[in-house]
Amino acid sequence: MTTLTRPRFATGAADHIVAAVPALWLVAFFLAPLGFTVVFSFGRNLFGGVELAFTFDNYRTALTGFNGTTLLRTIIFAASASALCLAAAYPVAYFLARHTQRRRALAVVLILVPYFSSFLIRIMALHMLMSRGGFAESVLNALYLHSGPLDVLDTQLAVFIGMVYAYLPIAIVPLFVVLDRIPKPLLEASRDLGASRFKTFVFVTLPLSRPGIATAVLLTAVPMLGEMVIPKLLGGSKGVLMGQAISSQFLQSQNYPLGAAMAVLVLLVIGVIVVLLARLTKGFAEVGQ
Amino acid sequence: MTTTIKTRHPQFAGLSRRTLLALLGAAPATAALSAAFPGAFRAEAATGALNVYSWPDYFSTDNLAAYAKKTGVTPNISTYDSNETLFAKLNSPAGAGFDIVIPSSSWIQQLAAKGLLQELDHSRLNLASLDQDLLNRDYDPGNKYSIPKDWGLLGVVYDPEIVGTIETWEDFFKAFEKSEVSGKIRMSDSGWETIGPQLWIEGKDWNTATSDEIRAAGEKVKALAKHVKSFSGLDPNSVANGSIVLAQTNQGTARAIIGLNPKLKWVVPGPFSELWVDNYAIPKSAPNLDQAYDFLAYQLQPEVQLSETQYIGFPAALAGLEAKLPADTKNADLIFGGKGLDFKKLTSFVVDPATIGTYLQVQTEIQAAAG
Repeated sequence: MTTLTRPRFATGAADHIVAAVPALWLVAFFLAPLGFTVVFSFGRNLFGGVELAFTFDNYRTALTGFNGTTLLRTIIFAASASALCLAAAYPVAYFLARHTQRRRALAVVLILVPYFSSFLIRIMALHMLMSRGGFAESVLNALYLHSGPLDVLDTQLAVFIGMVYAYLPIAIVPLFVVLDRIPKPLLEASRDLGASRFKTFVFVTLPLSRPGIATAVLLTAVPMLGEMVIPKLLGGSKGVLMGQAISSQFLQSQNYPLGAAMAVLVLLVIGVIVVLLARLTKGFAEVGQ
Repeated sequence: MTTTIKTRHPQFAGLSRRTLLALLGAAPATAALSAAFPGAFRAEAATGALNVYSWPDYFSTDNLAAYAKKTGVTPNISTYDSNETLFAKLNSPAGAGFDIVIPSSSWIQQLAAKGLLQELDHSRLNLASLDQDLLNRDYDPGNKYSIPKDWGLLGVVYDPEIVGTIETWEDFFKAFEKSEVSGKIRMSDSGWETIGPQLWIEGKDWNTATSDEIRAAGEKVKALAKHVKSFSGLDPNSVANGSIVLAQTNQGTARAIIGLNPKLKWVVPGPFSELWVDNYAIPKSAPNLDQAYDFLAYQLQPEVQLSETQYIGFPAALAGLEAKLPADTKNADLIFGGKGLDFKKLTSFVVDPATIGTYLQVQTEIQAAAG
């Protein structure tokens, strides 16, 4: 996202060989399957197989009617969940960058540790907390914020809570890194020239943290577009999203071409997101420390 | 972390240890793509090994250990979490080398039609000891390709104080409209288990209904979807504590629920309901045929059938199994679907490429309409 000027090294043959290994890996295990997906998406369906052809029918099916609505719903869902995630992550990252000194490393570790445990276990833990007679119910009842049994599971609200909770750590980290690297003298200059704290934030801090915002959105919105576990475990599998729709075409309906077309469309959406975010950080040269 | 969510095998209709195991399994979406690679996999020659491809945690560990001790052959068990994955694997070069697979009744015909299963030699198996109600059923006449391993039902568990009495699928759908029931209902996430009941109400057979008939019945279910709380696996606690008061489920999960809250009821509604059977089958290219038959003969012994039943919580196919259970088994009758179960009123779903797409598409729409 940011451009760095680095001293140039002369590249020798050895470097090329070293670089060839991961390149081969990527071609074999990433590009080739992706190529198959693209080829399949223009094919015709044989139950559990594909007849190679060149037809746009799958894309027509994937973009119209129910499937089209699902794609749109998924994009809106990922965008809003990602925005919520960002809104929750920004203050935390800001606090970490500005108001922690000695305990900073500890704070970052504490934020990241849950992220290293199994995704499924974390979501199941949330499921237990939010279920009837669970911890959340007793706390809310004790604080008089809610009375009686709590029925938040199997709702859209539970899905949003789960999404924000699951992806928060990876939104905090890039924001923290960027905010931490904004040179103090810039902020001081802004204050010296008479800007209020608020104005300093709006005209100095916020614009300078754009790369962090872009990275945080990318790291959260992309996995959210394909999220399947959270809607299933916390949302009662209602309001189908793209992830479930694609897996159901591949695995249950055995309709590989349509599933492939849907997958390619999601990839295109991700491509658009990346382009938009790249524009957001356009002309951004990192400020020297 | 990616996981795949798919037609829940009926046995996983609870958030059990098994569900978690299934969810933790690696995504088999790659199986679809790897099928496209002309792999250089050669079926291994008979080695005296035994390769079983099965649902997760579907054999009693004690029985497996005893078998290994007795014969010197330790079964290598690999797992799948859906019939679709089993189908995709057997249909690709990666599927060679398995000696025993455990497909559900719904998929036997598809697997056999693709030439992926071999006909069984009945002279090497003791079929006489099995419950005759489970043999020679529509999904595999004459048990040409399959031997029942264990079985389950589609039924309804409910709170009679809130819901009233349920005897038919009509009663089940009528209860949706009640204000104290609405929003506290769980339905299956398998297209045929949600649309099937509506087809039975209309006097149609879910295996011969046309795509148009399936869609029409599905639309009626879709109109009721707004009352449904969840299509995910059923957590027994959620019914026991009243978050859910009416739920489609299998008898194993129902028994767990009624164990927690005895005032709840279980019924297999009329006019028809589902019988699903998980079966032993032998793939066409099984390299270790003798070991496979040897293992099946071991599995069909009465004491093994009994301990398998206790281990997986679903009844094995042995005749007169209920009488063999320990006397202190709680709600033993529920393991076998409750008292007065009539096998003539049970039908097994058979996947048909012509209509399965409709079932699944309408199911997806039903779930979306509930959101």
